Amino acid sequence: MKNLPNIFKLFFITLSLLFIETAFASSTTGDIKVPFGIRDYNVGIAPNFTLQDIDSETFELAKAKGNWIFLHFWASWCGPCKKEMPTIQKLADAMQGEKFKIIMVNTAEDEDTVFEFLSTIDVEVNTLMDVDGLVTEIWKPRGLPTTFLINPKGEVKYQAIGGREWGEPTYVNFLKKLLSSTSGHR
Amino acid sequence: MRIKNCYIVPLLLLIASLQTAQAVSVETPELEIKFKSRTPNQMSSFYEARGFPKAMRDILKQQCFITVGILNKSQTKIWLDLSNWQFSADGKPLKRQHRDYWKKRWQDMGMPLNKQSTFRWTLIPETLDYLPGEHEGGNIVLPFTDKAISLTATFATGENKQGKTLTINADKLSCAVDKQ
Repeated sequence: MKNLPNIFKLFFITLSLLFIETAFASSTTGDIKVPFGIRDYNVGIAPNFTLQDIDSETFELAKAKGNWIFLHFWASWCGPCKKEMPTIQKLADAMQGEKFKIIMVNTAEDEDTVFEFLSTIDVEVNTLMDVDGLVTEIWKPRGLPTTFLINPKGEVKYQAIGGREWGEPTYVNFLKKLLSSTSGHR
Repeated sequence: MRIKNCYIVPLLLLIASLQTAQAVSVETPELEIKFKSRTPNQMSSFYEARGFPKAMRDILKQQCFITVGILNKSQTKIWLDLSNWQFSADGKPLKRQHRDYWKKRWQDMGMPLNKQSTFRWTLIPETLDYLPGEHEGGNIVLPFTDKAISLTATFATGENKQGKTLTINADKLSCAVDKQ
């Protein structure tokens, strides 16, 4: 190295830096351990939809790009949904201030049913109303409840199977790692 | 405590008398499948509470509903495909109605979209790949029969269905009826 011309030294240093950067990138994006109950689900761009929430505010999925989206389909008659809902509230609390949005979609129920249900389980999360069930049909969850994780580019990346303990460190840490892995891609 | 028990025993007897079908469980090293028959009144009440029109409920009350829960206990993928489930009663095939049948029937009757959707979500999927540890379920709808129902079901296994085929048999299934 000592006897090499400066131009070659510069070339080797640049090459080394590139190698280190590549190795570092793969350890932060590729080494995220996916917790039990979440599967890789790379199906491309998330189908867009526009729905109203229980306060009649309109929400369009495409406009939430730039955040990780936690898209959750549920119904009041589904037992695991009821059990899971407080854990989603815990997750919402844990992820406050992050580039992370929780989007709940109620499947084919009316406002009275949803109001009554949400009041009995003491959660603050709002929900979109897929009144005719057509958005749910397009998204084709495996069952209810089902959660999809969408990256800041608007691509579906993961699917959670059944109800999960979202407030547990395993899931919160996983989601925070996802956020940090893509923080430079926004 | 004794007073409490005095209430508990009649309560349990009352609950037991409200329906006649038993839960059936089938377990293999790879799978656990639970079957629970629902009475017409149970199903009708469930759908009535969700605002289903009487026309839908009247039809559904005439069916045999069995709630099925499937748990993949193995370390590999297990594939549910209801076309590989053969029901029979009294030695004759019992044809399960496909979800497409119900979709068309509700559409032909002009039933509300949201009720059609809810009905579909209460059915078990026609096909599903169960990941290790996954538990999913839903209802199966059969024509009503007062005979014992047998089921032979096969499941493909492995990431690309290349693994061994699992077969389960259940021969003590039945349609639940409401006690008069």
